[in-house]
Order: sequence, then structure tokens, then C-alpha cells
Amino acid sequence: MNCAECRESLLACLEGLLEAEQSRQCQAHFESCEACRAEYVAISRLQERLTAQGRVAAEVSLVEPVMRVLHHKQIEPERTTLMSILFKSRWGFGLGAVATAAAVLLIIGLAAPKAQAKAADVLAKGAKAVAKLTSIHLRGQLRTLPADNFSYIDANSAFYPIELWKQFPPESKWRIEKPGRVIVMDGQQTVMYIKPANEAVKLPQPTPSAFDTDWLHRIANLSDTINNELRLAQAQGWKLDLAEETAVDGRLKSIVTVHAKSGLSDADYVKNKFFHDADTRRVYRFDAQNERLEAVQIYLVRSGGEVQIFDLSQIDYDQSIDPGVWQLDLPADVSWYKEPEKLPDNAKYTAMTAEQAARAFFEACAKQDWNEAGKFMSPVSQGLKDYLGGLEIVSLGQPFTSQSYGGRFIPYEIKLKDGTVKKHNLAVRNDNPAHRWQVDGGI
Amino acid sequence: MNSLDQDTGAELSDEEYVVSSRNGCPDHFRLLVQRYQRPLFAFLSSRLGNQSEAEEAAQESFVRAFLSLKKLRKPESFYAWLLGIAGRVLKEQFRAVERRQKDRAVAETLLAENPSSEPEYPLEEVIAVLPESYRQVILMRYYEGLSCQDVATRLEMPLGTVTKTLSRAYALLRQALQARESAETTVN
Repeated sequence: MNCAECRESLLACLEGLLEAEQSRQCQAHFESCEACRAEYVAISRLQERLTAQGRVAAEVSLVEPVMRVLHHKQIEPERTTLMSILFKSRWGFGLGAVATAAAVLLIIGLAAPKAQAKAADVLAKGAKAVAKLTSIHLRGQLRTLPADNFSYIDANSAFYPIELWKQFPPESKWRIEKPGRVIVMDGQQTVMYIKPANEAVKLPQPTPSAFDTDWLHRIANLSDTINNELRLAQAQGWKLDLAEETAVDGRLKSIVTVHAKSGLSDADYVKNKFFHDADTRRVYRFDAQNERLEAVQIYLVRSGGEVQIFDLSQIDYDQSIDPGVWQLDLPADVSWYKEPEKLPDNAKYTAMTAEQAARAFFEACAKQDWNEAGKFMSPVSQGLKDYLGGLEIVSLGQPFTSQSYGGRFIPYEIKLKDGTVKKHNLAVRNDNPAHRWQVDGGI
Repeated sequence: MNSLDQDTGAELSDEEYVVSSRNGCPDHFRLLVQRYQRPLFAFLSSRLGNQSEAEEAAQESFVRAFLSLKKLRKPESFYAWLLGIAGRVLKEQFRAVERRQKDRAVAETLLAENPSSEPEYPLEEVIAVLPESYRQVILMRYYEGLSCQDVATRLEMPLGTVTKTLSRAYALLRQALQARESAETTVN
């Protein structure tokens, strides 16, 4: 083991995460190298100090005492702090909708022009109107690819249906589905199934959101939407607009528009490909009488003009949800995604550059050597084997990065066995325990 | 990017908790207390040398923080701001000791003895200036006592990312501690 390898493994060594042989090699290196030994000792000391500080505080439990004091302070009639005024009429450790409205109005009223304050008022009332929901069901359509990432948008694609069922606490559950992908959080675990690939991923715990569905959850939880939109409007200088219109049935509608910016440069490869990386105009339509959200339209704002990418026209509040919604029946032969593990010849792969890894992956596909291809992607589904098997590499370009992605993109051109030529960018990343480049998208 | 990307909705940022706390979600302040109770207590305990006084001071600091939340200009710096409040509570506590004992020597002893076991630049202050992603991993690993694997599960990130983050956090902590030590040496 040389110094660079030793430094790379130092933390894993300290944390006891190395295999016996690697750990022995690491220790042997420390014996012979003064500089690495000094580094090891310095980090061990820092670790000991942190451990000692953590131990001091291990038993402390201040949450309930603090919240009790706060509760008490809030209901004291003589308190005149701003927060106590806001919370005076209602204190609960759930959604303080009245307080939310007041706080939102205050923030926007002080910081933004009148039109923005009015728009914020409508949003806040919308949150109040749905503050005590038990469930929500959203049905809309999105321009995307049916089996791709839930956050993926494609302005040139057709609309595909997307649905969300959500049961709010205390028994939180949710399901999101589009034609090629489904996720179910049944209160115990979160499982995503990708239909064409017959591939599934499991998180062994309940989650409030997962697998890039945050943008849709935020619409379902209007209070979060408001907080988020207003926070970002303030922080990023986004604009809020308000308009009113009378529907054909004579009911008055309030329409709030948020002009959202991703902050990415136009040259960034992922700009406008995912919800969080897109410049969008988001239109929230509320019924002015019952103040509830009725519809959402989201438009992609790009140099060639606006394109509507999301349309949510059906929102069911507090309807009972069939228990079957929380079940996900997977085929017996489903392939489960596994994090890459270290291989006996792992070093050969960790030494590769991103471009070399991309080439090795495509070469393995060309030879239909699925064992080798599996070292860059786990699992390689049958659909992918059928698609990529026997390909011919035409060219690979220089890797490039994006501000919002932790991996690398490698431009490629391949000829598939049916003669089709495909030109795209392969996404690879190596932030996994085995430090091997793994194909993450772009096929 | 494709099938394997996961967002990390389970853990919101300090900024998001602060904003929603002041917008009427006290539950989110509860989560901030949960996140910082241990490092705050460790910081105060190393100063006061008395567990029950440290607990009292930590509680008071959180209460003041909540009641002053509107004054926090940079919600993403919640922890550094909280430590500032705790520092003021600490001074008041020392003054109260002086008054109670009517003996300045007691307070001086407290001030003199306790920092000696911990230098002027306690870890918690240095942790406070780490970028949030690094701070979060340090707090979970040491103040919540989670293993690297548990941190990875909790943050829904690969184990390798956790160890890399931790490694970088150590480097930043060491740099910050060295900078403070040099500044201290220069002053002296």
C-alpha cells in the first residue's frame, strides 16, 4: 500500500470499515511511513475528542422540556412577543395554519410589493383550507419518459399520467405512479419498481419523500409548498403574481403564479431536464370561495418559448383510499438494486477514469459479457441486455460535469445491433462503498 | 440520474426548519432542538462543569432562540447563532453565580478551571462553521452515536459518500482548529 492509497483508506481504517487484509496493509504502512502515521494520529485524536464530547451529551434529552416551556410561554396572556401574537389564537404541535397565514402575510407584506403580498395571502389561505387533511389524491399528466426518473421532464415528449395518493400523519403512507414506474411507502418501507426493467429498489424505512418525488409531495402538502415557494421567492428574488377570473359556473378563482429559477447556467447539461434544475412558471389555481387548491399548471421557461410540462386538474381531498393502494405486487423474478460491493479485483476498477469505465462497460455489452457489464451496473436487466448486447462503439468523448450532479457525463455514440446509431451522454458516478464507476443514467 | 437517484426528503436543512418554525410549524423547532441538543449541551457542560446547570442553560438557550427566531438573518447559520445565545446565557449564569455566592473567586474558579480541560476553541464552535452537509454527518456520527452505516441509511446516501464527507469534515475541522490556535498564539 502506498501513501495515496493509505490516505484514501485512512478514515475507513479508523472506522473499522476495512476488510482484515486491507486493514493489516494500512497498519503496516503506518509502521513504515512517518507522515501517514502522523496523519493517522492527528485524525484519531480529533476522533477521540469528538467521541468524548458526544459521550458527555449522550443521555441529554431536552426536546420535551424545551417544548413545554415554549408552550407555556406562548399561552401566557401577558406575553407580547411577535411569536406569541402569531400563535396566540392557536397553539398546537401540528400545522399552525392561522399562524402560518399571519406569518406569511407579515413576511411578504414587509418585504415585497402589494401584488406579491396578495398572492402570498391567497397561498396562505389555501394552506389554511387544507390544514387538517387526512388524505389527498392527485391525478395529473407530465411531459416525461414513462419509465424515467420521477423528476425527469422532456418538453418534446407526450404527456403521461402521473398520480399520487397520500395519507397524512399519524399513519403516513404514499404511492406515486406513472406508466413505467411506481413507488409505495406503506408506513414501514419504501419500494420503487421500474416496470420495463423489472427492477426494484428498497429503502428499509418509511420516508416522507424519496426517489426524486419531492416536487410532487410539495404540491400535495400545500403548507410546505407555500413555505418553500415563499422562502425561495425571498431568497432567490422570484416573482409572485396574482390574477382573478370568473369560471363558467360563475365561481371566482384566484390564480397565483410563481416564476421559479433553477440558478443553473444555460450551458449546464442538466438545465431544464429535471424539476429542480428547470426554470419554470408555476400556476396555482384556487377556488376563491372555499380557498382550496383546484389545479396546478407548470410551464418550462426556455429560450425557445414556454412549454406546459405538468397539468394537475384533479385533486380529491379526504376521500377514503383503498388499502390495496399501499400494496405493491412485484413479479417473482424482479431484480433488486444492490449497492456495489468491493470485488476481489476492485483496485483494477477504482483505478479507471470515468471515460475508461464507460468504454469498459460498452465493450462488455458489445461482447455480451454480462458478468463484466454488471461490475458497472447492478443489475443489468434483461431488457437492457437485449438492447445493448452486440453494440459497436463508434466514439467516446471527453467527460464533463454539471453543477447539480455529483458524477460525470461521457458523450458517446454507439451502433446497436439493429443498425440504429445512438448518440447520448452516459452518466456515471463512483461515490459508492466500492468506489467503482457505476452507470447511473443516459442509456 | 435514472433509476438509482434518491432524494433526501427525510432530513430538511436548518434553513428550512427555521423558516417553517417561524411560519407557524413549531414541530419543526422541535426537530432543531433534537438536532442540536447534544452538541449544545456538550459545549455548555465543558464550560460549566456541572451537568444540571448545563442542562438548564441549554434549555434557556433554545427557548430564547425560538422567541428571537425572527431576528435570525441567516437561517442556514442557526447553530452558530444558537451558540452565540448560549454564550450569553453562560455569562449570565456566571454572573448569577457571582451574585449568589457574593464571592467573585467562585466564578473565577469556574471560568478558570473548566476551560482548562477544553481550550478556548471548543469543538462545538468549530463544528458550527462547517458547511451544513459536513456538520450534519459529524453530529449524527458523534453526538447521536450512529455508525457510518446508520448515518448512510438515515441520510439515504451510499456508505462511501458518508465516509468521504466525514473525511472532508475532519480536514475542515483540523484546518479551523489550527487557524484558531495560530490566531491565539499571535494574540498572546
